[in-house]
Amino acid sequence: MDVACLVVPDFLVALARREHPELAGRAVIVGGAPEEHATVTACSPEAAAAGVAIGTTLRRALALCPRAVFLPVQEGFARAEAATVADLVRDRSPLVEVVGQGHLHFEVRGLARLAGINEEEYLAQLYEGIAARTRLPVQIGAGSSVFVAHVAALKAGRREKGGGRREEEEIANYELRIAEGRTARANNDSLSSSKQRNSQFVIRNSANSSIQNPKSKIQNFVVVPSGAEREFLAAAPVEVLPVDPVMHLRLRLFGLEWLGQVAEIPISAMQAQFGPDGAWARALARGEDKSRIVPQREEVAVTEEIELPAPAASSEPLVVGTEALLQRALADDEIRGQTVRRVDWWLGLESGEQVSRRVVFREPTSDARRMLFVLRSKIERLQLPAAAVSVGVTLSGLCSEYAHQENLWNVGPRRQRELEEAIEQLNTRAGDPQVYRVVEVQPWSRIPERQVALVAYGS
Amino acid sequence: MVENSRTAGGAGGVRLLNQPKPAAVEANKHGEPEAIVVQGRFQHVRAIHDSWRIDDEWWREEIARRYFTVELANGRKLTVYHDLVGGGWFAQSYDGPKRVPGA
Repeated sequence: MDVACLVVPDFLVALARREHPELAGRAVIVGGAPEEHATVTACSPEAAAAGVAIGTTLRRALALCPRAVFLPVQEGFARAEAATVADLVRDRSPLVEVVGQGHLHFEVRGLARLAGINEEEYLAQLYEGIAARTRLPVQIGAGSSVFVAHVAALKAGRREKGGGRREEEEIANYELRIAEGRTARANNDSLSSSKQRNSQFVIRNSANSSIQNPKSKIQNFVVVPSGAEREFLAAAPVEVLPVDPVMHLRLRLFGLEWLGQVAEIPISAMQAQFGPDGAWARALARGEDKSRIVPQREEVAVTEEIELPAPAASSEPLVVGTEALLQRALADDEIRGQTVRRVDWWLGLESGEQVSRRVVFREPTSDARRMLFVLRSKIERLQLPAAAVSVGVTLSGLCSEYAHQENLWNVGPRRQRELEEAIEQLNTRAGDPQVYRVVEVQPWSRIPERQVALVAYGS
Repeated sequence: MVENSRTAGGAGGVRLLNQPKPAAVEANKHGEPEAIVVQGRFQHVRAIHDSWRIDDEWWREEIARRYFTVELANGRKLTVYHDLVGGGWFAQSYDGPKRVPGA
């Protein structure tokens, strides 16, 4: 177990249902009111079953599913909740990749052993910790590679074998959900056989979990043992492959519904039909996934703050303090040799309030005077409600050393004359023109050598 | 009357840029490059990223070229063309027309 995947299916719908439990079991469409000229951002499996999909216009969605509840998109709220989920995972894993809202890949190699528990207990604790804090329907899968973990997470959350007709329908719904409203055909025979094949990998639900609904047999996490990847993947529908939806459709038209069938096709045939994507899909279906977790790059920022010797209401001490802070921050090892694109400046006031300003430079700089020049005008325009007691700066948006080439000819008339004389002397000494300028000849020409030419300077 | 200077007429201090450079290219039966000599060594073509044809100036000295943007085995990208009138292969960078006349 090297990699784990956490998925909150239909994240926006799950958030809405958490905030409004009365929406459970009802068709929910997120995107706005049906009379708005907008499209569906997310929809519940109930709405998807009625034909609604992400991207459908809201008016069409209303026609397809008239009993659905339409909700606006709360982007800020969703972003904050997704960040909370990601932070909870970051607390538990050293390497986390945010794939989307409520969808994360993270490394779990050796973590169970580090905690002195087995892998299942580790995942159970992980699940309980995150589900309890977020109160969202979290699904976790783990395996030896990113793709296996991802498919395992999609399989988690489905009901265990042995249920009645309703359970069968739920499984069919699950498969439809994987297909994300696309053309997944729920073949009952195939499903039941796949269910049997999978039963050995679908690890227990968290029996001790207080979050779990005692009436359900939903598995909260799935672990795929090392060496059993190919067998596990064999029963997954082709829609789990991260390829173009058109390829899913074409695979189904070829009669390939399960990854087990894709894995058996010769690589030459897959490549001939689908190009590089075909070979890749076949490798994934065989459990040969070489992709790695790509963590978000951490932004380097340097912060410096000082307490002012005496509360200040005028701009002068603030400017002096800011200059000292900038010089100190630019001398920091993290920043040395680089340039800065962004400066956040703030003041702590006697009243406890904070006044802040952000400056983004058009060209990154490592020159404290230039930074201060821009900041000074902002500081001098400030009208403070109380005296300032502290001042601070954060330098961020670091870039490599920045330089720009000056135009040699963009100089004053005197310098221009000197240059022209120097060029004339050079030409006379060499006998041939030595300095040329690039001139457009036929910029519209399709023949590259006709487009620009070098013309002797001064001719 | 002005005397004939007996010197060849021309553009004087004008030098055309981006002149095609002869290239040693091994092509397959479809006329696509398979290997190109770069710095004295044959480098295999890993991929052909783009191919297009230019036919122009048929009213004077006809120009007919088939361009290929290729990626060599060492990862380097190169644009070469096959001169369909005179034969031979040439290396030349290509940016496409920059603007149309009168625009």
